[in-house]
Amino acid sequence: MNDTGLLTEFTATIELDRYEDIRAALFDPNLSRSFDKRSYEDGNIRSGIVSIAHGEMHRARRRLENTQFRADVLRLYERELFPRVMSDLLDLLIDRERVDLFPVGEMLSVVLAARRAGVDCDASSLDDLRTLVRHVDAFSQGSAILDAKDPEAVRALVRATYAEFERDFVRPAWRTRAALIERVRRGELPEAELPHDILTVLLLHREDPDIELADEERIVREVATYLQGGTHTSAQTLVNALDLVFASGVDYVRTIDRIASDTLFAQRVVQETLRLRPTTPKMKRRAEAETEVAGRRIPKDAQVILDVAAANRDPRLFGVHPERFDPDRAVDPSVQRWGLSFGGGPHQCPGRAVGGGFPVPADFHVDDDHVFGLVALELQAIARRGVRPDETATPERDLRTARFTRWLHYPVRFVSLAGGRPVENDVRRALG
Amino acid sequence: MNETQVTVDPDLCIGSAECVRVLPDAFRIDETLGVSVPQPAARTADRVSLAEVVRNCPTGAIQVVACGEDPP
Repeated sequence: MNDTGLLTEFTATIELDRYEDIRAALFDPNLSRSFDKRSYEDGNIRSGIVSIAHGEMHRARRRLENTQFRADVLRLYERELFPRVMSDLLDLLIDRERVDLFPVGEMLSVVLAARRAGVDCDASSLDDLRTLVRHVDAFSQGSAILDAKDPEAVRALVRATYAEFERDFVRPAWRTRAALIERVRRGELPEAELPHDILTVLLLHREDPDIELADEERIVREVATYLQGGTHTSAQTLVNALDLVFASGVDYVRTIDRIASDTLFAQRVVQETLRLRPTTPKMKRRAEAETEVAGRRIPKDAQVILDVAAANRDPRLFGVHPERFDPDRAVDPSVQRWGLSFGGGPHQCPGRAVGGGFPVPADFHVDDDHVFGLVALELQAIARRGVRPDETATPERDLRTARFTRWLHYPVRFVSLAGGRPVENDVRRALG
Repeated sequence: MNETQVTVDPDLCIGSAECVRVLPDAFRIDETLGVSVPQPAARTADRVSLAEVVRNCPTGAIQVVACGEDPP
């Protein structure tokens, strides 16, 4: 590496595709997510954020931010906040028979992602939500810049979007929270009454040198990361779930009906989708120091590619037909049903339970405390409105990235609208 | 029941609370420090659940040793 932090070239590239080898790599403290700063971080939304950090600073920031992902917070979102928001939004978004599902998923997910990140928006304003979704799309391209087909165009887009996002969303939220924190410090407000979000917790602890947040822009990028992570993955998983259901054969209507009536089945559909369609099919790591994984020596500054999509189809772990979409498949309790799609080790996705819920027990029996995950609830709500493929239009993949699991448009049609009101055309069709 | 010695390395722990999810009586998050602290019930928790806790801990901060055994 030269003195600008630029990794001039990797000393080696090592690809792992076996489940246990990838898991060992994910847990190896010598493998980090920081790469060549020029191609990945500088001028990009990822610069200095928690998922790029390594070592003690990373652990200190995760300790703070993990407070927003406690089980009681997840239950609050899932049982009280989300059902109401989701129902109101779906009434607005599914207002006709044929709809593009991908933006619907983005709008549903961005509301709660914004709340968790600390971005204030009017959940009933589709204009506000569309603006946030547009920002999320730019930040998602920035996050996946290593797989981008035109990285310089992505970098320019991220720069422009960042400025708008900071001005219109983060700074107003920052001022509100800073004023509340000041009141707490003066003893005028109990700390428990502060908003429960990432921005607040970062501002509250900003003086802590261990978390290295003196740079205000780093806070803005951290907030953007949580907004993007909480929105994009959920929306893509929702679309991928339905794509797998629709591709499962003529019996897909029965699967939709099961999703509509059985929340735990809906969750298994989501977790099976995450296994087959990981948001990041190939994760990358860099060796901060020489290490050894699965008996292979990995020299310092080597690039390690983790083929999660391949490992998630290991027949030893997922049965003789691991490529099949089977939400009822038996999986050993020592293995997560989503495989390695949320990563693992210190950098595992902090929001995995938000999107995918808690692990589903092998006997499919859950207690009252179980968290199903927001995507399962979204999928169920959409199934209850009678979602069907739209045979008159073709889904469109996101070809700006090499990741095969990303969509831009996914047309569907609905046989029911708000409140179970049937779509007029379907009534006519049913009546012949 | 054979007792086990359960420890959490506070320098490694990132407060993911995976241990609390699996064994809520055996672990508690110290919200001031943001790290997990084993509780007395951890000593008598079932071995299968403790193994799951160790497997799921993202930073390898949790160590479980049966009384009378040497730590790995």
